[in-house]
Amino acid sequence: MPWLIEINASPTMGTSTAVTTRLCAAVQGDTPWVDLDLWLDRGVHNGGFQLIYKQEKMAASVCRVGSTVGRALAKARSPILLSLRRGQATVTYAQSLLGAPETRLTALDNGLRIASEETGHGTCTVGLWISCGSRYETEKNNGAGFFLEHMAFKGTKKHPQMALEHQVESMGAHLSAYTSREHTAYYMKTLAKDLPKAVALLSEVLQSNVLSEADIEQQRSVVLKELEEVEGSLQDVCLDLLHATAFQGTPLGHSVLGPSQNARTLSRQDLVDFISSHYKAPRMVLAAAGGVTHEELVGLAKQHFSGVSFEYEDDAVPVLSPCRFSGSEIRMRDDDMPLAHIAIAVEGASAASPDIVPLMVANSIIGSYDITFGGGKHLSSRLARLASEESLCHSFQAFHSSYSDTGLLGIYFVTDKHHIDDMMHWSQNAWMNLCTTVTESDIARAKNALKASLVGQLNGTTPICDDIGRHVLNYGRRIPLAEWDARINAVTPKMVRDICSKYIYDKCPAVSAVGPIEQLPDYNRMRSAMYWLRF
Amino acid sequence: MMSLAARSGAFSPYLQATNYAVAGPLKALIPGVVVKGEKVLVDTKKPFLTRESLNGQSPKTGPAVSVSINAKAAVRFAHTDIKVPDFSDYRRPELLDPNKSSQESSESRKTFSYLVTGATAVVGVYTAKTVATQFISSMSASADVLAMSKIEVKLGEIPEGKNMTFKWRGKPLFIRHRTEKEIATEEAVDMAVLRDPQHDKDRVAKPKWIIVIGVCTHLGCVPIANAGDYGGYYCPCHGSHYDASGRIRKGPAPLNLEVPYYEFPDEDTVIVG
Repeated sequence: MPWLIEINASPTMGTSTAVTTRLCAAVQGDTPWVDLDLWLDRGVHNGGFQLIYKQEKMAASVCRVGSTVGRALAKARSPILLSLRRGQATVTYAQSLLGAPETRLTALDNGLRIASEETGHGTCTVGLWISCGSRYETEKNNGAGFFLEHMAFKGTKKHPQMALEHQVESMGAHLSAYTSREHTAYYMKTLAKDLPKAVALLSEVLQSNVLSEADIEQQRSVVLKELEEVEGSLQDVCLDLLHATAFQGTPLGHSVLGPSQNARTLSRQDLVDFISSHYKAPRMVLAAAGGVTHEELVGLAKQHFSGVSFEYEDDAVPVLSPCRFSGSEIRMRDDDMPLAHIAIAVEGASAASPDIVPLMVANSIIGSYDITFGGGKHLSSRLARLASEESLCHSFQAFHSSYSDTGLLGIYFVTDKHHIDDMMHWSQNAWMNLCTTVTESDIARAKNALKASLVGQLNGTTPICDDIGRHVLNYGRRIPLAEWDARINAVTPKMVRDICSKYIYDKCPAVSAVGPIEQLPDYNRMRSAMYWLRF
Repeated sequence: MMSLAARSGAFSPYLQATNYAVAGPLKALIPGVVVKGEKVLVDTKKPFLTRESLNGQSPKTGPAVSVSINAKAAVRFAHTDIKVPDFSDYRRPELLDPNKSSQESSESRKTFSYLVTGATAVVGVYTAKTVATQFISSMSASADVLAMSKIEVKLGEIPEGKNMTFKWRGKPLFIRHRTEKEIATEEAVDMAVLRDPQHDKDRVAKPKWIIVIGVCTHLGCVPIANAGDYGGYYCPCHGSHYDASGRIRKGPAPLNLEVPYYEFPDEDTVIVG
């Protein structure tokens, strides 16, 4: 074995020859093994390092010289170190894909599905995801789901409000809910051992809600106040208006919050009718993630949710009809606002469509940007580079909201009143690039970013549980990370070009704009920018 | 927030700020805001889009309307109250049903639009070209000028063997009624002896009539008819002899006499030019 004795005047890890390329990369890769692992376990594999002189003090001094991160982690007894103690220095991406526990799915007799992932955490999130949202509402009862969400925690037949709150607080749990256009969720974050209590409370909240008149009246003003407050969140206003114009005349155009008129006039009967027509077992999923066992969960479900109805009155099964997309625009101009919030979107793919993954990759190519990003002109997304160098905007993000049979694929940006024209031009230019000139390196970068974000989002029991609930409602099963990975790997530049052309090229967009939007181009100009004459 | 701009900034130093608060449907008027203690009664059934009737639609239970002289007048709505109007009157038939996806008809709608646009563009370009041509060609020679450029001659008045001279475009025009003997002679001439070789049949449409411009190709004098050694024309200025076909045979002229454009609309008439 040859010995390399190197005296470094300026030890740079830059690579200049083939040998240093190999060596420097290996050194950098092995350094954490020495810094962190040897600190804890003298016998562990220490990478390519060979100690010339093995000595107790030597090892200690190496570790002292090691990264401050390592020391800080050691002090904090962080889980990263704990996992390192198991003898693995790092968990590779591949391992994190394949090592993820399987999501198990069962169904009760009444159609209610139960899905859970046992992650080994000490806590768990359990909840009910229901296929019900503003899309199922009519003009008359738009906002009923949202109102119901407010009423949910006002007390059940067994536990009046104070008692319910006391129960939840004493467990140290969080009980929350959200309503979106196609899904409603009621979930609880609690310790793993409290799963039975959590499921019991959830079943009560859902099935035996009191819905007292007094509470309804009181919640009215709360809902109205919330409507007023949401006006301050211009991103929500802009995207709500985008849906309202893109899907005008259809249920997807309804906002989740509902108009103020409905907030003032919805009655107890409306809410009861809403529950009885939409909260049906085949449309529900009891999802859980954390330190839960599937068998226990199924037992609890059988105990508490067997009574959930699965029949509709008059056999009137609500069927979701397709929603027409209208290329259109809505402009809410107010020159007193400091910034303009603008969203432009085309009709996108449904959640279960095979085009979803290439479109997600395409969105990763455009990416997102905020003026606080430090990358400047070195950011990888071309639009972000331009935004930074030309001060085109304060922030932008490419988004894709997908529903059961349609979707909205778009770009949302916030900018000041003098850069709207430029930002819109370059955003549409980015779209045209996707349809025509996207390259292998763009795709490679986007795939990695997408995979990282998919894995990174599942960083707790609640995101995992939400993922499970939504997947089972959208796809009928949980799509494992390994499958996402395979589908992402299969994306090629030609695929992205073809699919983006299918959805974006020469299509009528829907545009919504709020704020000082005088500079926003005329709709015909924006429509003309959806194709290139050079092609 | 939608705002009706009612700014009067120029007058602000001279005006006091005056705010009127309008009573909301559930809450009574708050007099503290009003400088002058005036109550404004609200008729909520009023159909017009006034601030009084709009106030009933605001989400806030209280004055969401403000009016003043030197600041904005505003009515605030919740964005969920904004109703997108029904554009069914303007939609294409395929898009009237809100429960049908617009993707299926997308191709045909675009094809139709682009075809109509393309056809209109072609027609438009053609129309523009026509209009432009008409305007520009109006600057060209007018009909009377063009008429002067043609001459119509009755050939019956020219006896055989005779040459008649006409003034045409400022130049003498010779029309000669050739005899059979002259025709035969000219057609039999060998090309090799000609300074400007041209066969007779290339210079006449009907052999009976030779029509040439009577300008000598040497220096522009007018040749004399029925003169010269070759039975044609003779130019007295420098002695150029032309034959009965107007070709130069002897003398200084380099080229044959010019044959203008002519046509015979019928047996008895020729139009030259």
